[in-house]
Amino acid sequence: MSAETDEQIARRVQRGEAEAFGELIERYSAKLSRYARKFLFDTEDAQDAIQDVFIKAYENIQSFDATRRFSPWVYRIAHNEFVNALKKRKASRTVFTFDIDTLVPHLAATDTADSAALERDVRAALEAHLESVAAKYREPLILYYFEGMDYKEISDILQIPVSTVGVRLARGRRMLQEVAGKDQHLI
Amino acid sequence: MNEQHPHEIGEGVMKAIREGQVHMRPRWHFLLISALSVTGACIVLLTLLYVTSLGFFFLRDSGAWYAPSFGGRGWFGLLYSLPWILIVFVLIFILILEMLVRRYTFVYKKPLLISVVAILAVVLFGGLAIAQTPLHRMLMLSARRGVLPQALTGLYGRSLREAPPGDMYHGDIVGMLGNGFLLVDEDRAGTTTVVVTTQTRLPYGENFSVGERVVVVGDMVASGTVEAFGIREIDEYPSDER
Repeated sequence: MSAETDEQIARRVQRGEAEAFGELIERYSAKLSRYARKFLFDTEDAQDAIQDVFIKAYENIQSFDATRRFSPWVYRIAHNEFVNALKKRKASRTVFTFDIDTLVPHLAATDTADSAALERDVRAALEAHLESVAAKYREPLILYYFEGMDYKEISDILQIPVSTVGVRLARGRRMLQEVAGKDQHLI
Repeated sequence: MNEQHPHEIGEGVMKAIREGQVHMRPRWHFLLISALSVTGACIVLLTLLYVTSLGFFFLRDSGAWYAPSFGGRGWFGLLYSLPWILIVFVLIFILILEMLVRRYTFVYKKPLLISVVAILAVVLFGGLAIAQTPLHRMLMLSARRGVLPQALTGLYGRSLREAPPGDMYHGDIVGMLGNGFLLVDEDRAGTTTVVVTTQTRLPYGENFSVGERVVVVGDMVASGTVEAFGIREIDEYPSDER
């Protein structure tokens, strides 16, 4: 893999070097596949969605501001595609409607690192019970615990206030705790 | 089910790009969308400011804006006279503006309530400031002279204004009496005798004179005669300009 940054490669694609886009696909396909599989569960849906993410990313790459980071930009596209995929499923039609969490201000969320043990426990519980957590809370959990993003990055991807990210993560962990049982301490 | 390796997905996308099945949208396409979005937001904001200032203008023109200086009964008069059609319009347009600007970082980083309240504050203070200028007065005079386009003339008619409560009167003083004055009531298109008693609330004094424009809250005690509960001058529209 070249030492170029994602943003430098994106700039080359913007200048017309279509082949350079392959490098971006290579860098992000595994990450986005993991994100899609954990968020959508249905492998076929996930594969279709990832393909659409890369196609959309290529079509819209001229809208990318290369002075900013590429990762939140492509994850934002992925988020939109995955939410659309969920909406297509009849049972999940009402997953992403108006969200009261984004309406009112919350206390400033603290983006403090969990202890390594707690993080490991949450990850294990997520692997086992992810499907039991509502999509709205599942997504920030995936981005935080599996994609290693901080609150600000998640806030940019989901386009919600940073404090709301904190609230959703806390509620997601609480849901997980309920499902995982009292013997596990995840919050 | 056959799971594709991420590498294969990438190959498929690159093949589609090479074969020209997928096209990169030109930069101008996004610049155009951004420009249209900003223009749309500006138009909505200007419309909001215009409509809000029109609402304030209606309240000031009818005198209802000044009625709270008479106390609770005056406050009721103000609430009764609020232009509800314009208020509903403003609320809908605030939501439209919020949707148009929601994708910008400085908006989505804030809770919805804060951005809506911020827009509301801008609209209220901006509308109030515009209502202080002669803009609506000039447009209303032009509408009455019939020199404005029909659509704009309609705005300054009576359709968007709420009728005042039954105990509120406003208009010009056309004659002074020993215990009051004669008022040409604009809403009821007639002359009303206003009687001032010792109980009448006069927050800004009682030195009224012919030609002055006033708002009166009071009870009809006889045909065409109102015993004033409160009287206040409407200070901004000298009669020679109406």
